[in-house]
Amino acid sequence: MNDTKYIGIEFNYYRPESLKAVLEKLKEDGSKILAGGTDLLVRIKTDMEKPKNIVEITGVKELSVLETNNELIIGAVVKLFEIEKNDTIRKMYPSLYEAVKSIGGKQIRNMATLTGNLCNASPGADSAPPLIVLGANVEIKTLNEKSEIARRLIPLEDFFTGPGKTILGAKEILTKVIVPKPQENTGSAFKKIARVNLDISKISCAVFLERKERVIKEIRIAVGAAAATPVRAYQTEKALTGKEYDLTKIQKNLALIESDISPITDVRSTAEYRKEVAPILLKDTLKLAWERAGGEVLI
Amino acid sequence: MKIPISIKINGREYNVEVKSNELLLNVLREKFGLLGAKYGCGIGECGACTVLLNGRAILSCLTLAVSVNGQEITTIEGLSDGSKLHPLQESFIEEGAIQCGFCTPGMILSAKALIDEKPEPTNNEIKEAIRGNVCRCTGYVNIITAIKAGAKKIKRSEK
Repeated sequence: MNDTKYIGIEFNYYRPESLKAVLEKLKEDGSKILAGGTDLLVRIKTDMEKPKNIVEITGVKELSVLETNNELIIGAVVKLFEIEKNDTIRKMYPSLYEAVKSIGGKQIRNMATLTGNLCNASPGADSAPPLIVLGANVEIKTLNEKSEIARRLIPLEDFFTGPGKTILGAKEILTKVIVPKPQENTGSAFKKIARVNLDISKISCAVFLERKERVIKEIRIAVGAAAATPVRAYQTEKALTGKEYDLTKIQKNLALIESDISPITDVRSTAEYRKEVAPILLKDTLKLAWERAGGEVLI
Repeated sequence: MKIPISIKINGREYNVEVKSNELLLNVLREKFGLLGAKYGCGIGECGACTVLLNGRAILSCLTLAVSVNGQEITTIEGLSDGSKLHPLQESFIEEGAIQCGFCTPGMILSAKALIDEKPEPTNNEIKEAIRGNVCRCTGYVNIITAIKAGAKKIKRSEK
C-alpha cells in the first residue's frame, strides 16, 4: 500500500499567468498540468505519475471562461460546481448537467474541472458521453517551432484513444470545450448505473435527438464505461433514425446497442451485465431525451 | 523547492514557507496545530480532511498548500466563538450525531457550506451535501437530524 498521507516525491511548482508561459514550461520533459488536482494528486500519491514540474494553470485568466450566449464555451479551469450552478446549462444542456452532478461528492465537484475529467480519459468519465452527443469540439493549443501559439480544433469523439489515453501530446494543453447551441425540437439526457449515487459508473449513456412530430429525425448515442473509450453507438443510431417513436416497435433496434459496445469485466461490473443492461439504460435515456424534445410523455 | 505563501486561516493572515509537495492538510495539522481536519483515505474518498476554501468544502489531502496562496481557509477550529460552540457543533452533540468523532469536523464543515448557501435545506439537499463525507459509526440519520436542527438554531440566532 502506498502512503497517501504525504507526497513522496519532490517537484518544481509553477503557476504562470499567461498561456504562453504555461506552454513554455510544458516543453520541458516531465511537466504535468495541475488544474483541480483530484486525479493528478491521487496518481502522484499512488506512484502512477512522477512529474518533475507541476504547472498549475488556474492563474491563466483566459482559461476560466464560461460562456453561454451563443455556443457553450467551457475553459480548462472551470470547475464542475460552476457548470452545475449555471442555469442556462441546466436548461439547454440537461444531459451535461446530469452527468456533472453525478460525479463524486460536493468536495470533488468544488475542486475538479470538466477538462480534467476529459483529459484523464477514464472510459467511464461521466462528462464525455453527453459532450460527445451534443457535438462538442475541444480546442488544443501548443507552441510551434517559431514559439507562436498554434491552435487545433478536434471533435471530442476523436479525442480519446484508450483507457487514460488521448491524442493530447505532452506539450499541448486542452484550453476549452466548445458545444454548439441545440436547435428547436431537440433534447438530450444522461443516465448511468452505479452501485450508489455518487459512485463511478458501471455503464453510462447519453442521447441527443431531434424530433419531427412523432419521428426520430436524428439521433446520437454515446456510451461510457462499455469500451476502451467512450463510444458512439453508430449501428443503433442508424437503426433508429427516421423511426416513429414507439417503444414497442423500436425495441429490437434498441437491442442493437449490445453490438456497438465492447465492455470488459472489471471491479465494478461484468461484461455480461453491461451488455444486458445497455438496451434498458438506452431506453430510459431515450425516453427522457424525447420528452425534452417536446415529444409526448409515455409511461 | 520552498515557496512563500500568505493564507488566511480562520480569519487570521499568515505568511509561511511551504515545500512545493506539501499538502494543505499537513500544513494545517503540522505547522498550525489545527488537528480537526483528519487524514482518512488520502485519495478523495472519505471526506475526513474537508476544510472550507473561500467558503466551499474541499479536500485538504488533495490540495497543494502552494495552490491556496492568497486564499481563505476555514477549519473546524474556526467555527466556535471562544468556548461558545457553533450552533451546528451544539446540535451534533444534542442529537447524538457523534460517536468516534473522526468524520465530524468534515461533516460539520460540509453542513456549514450548505447552510451558508441554503439556510433551510431539505433532507435531500443535506444528503447531497454530505455525500462525500463517510461516517463509519453512527449512520447518517442522526447526522441529518443534527444538520436540520443546526440550521434552525442558526436562523433563530440571526433574528
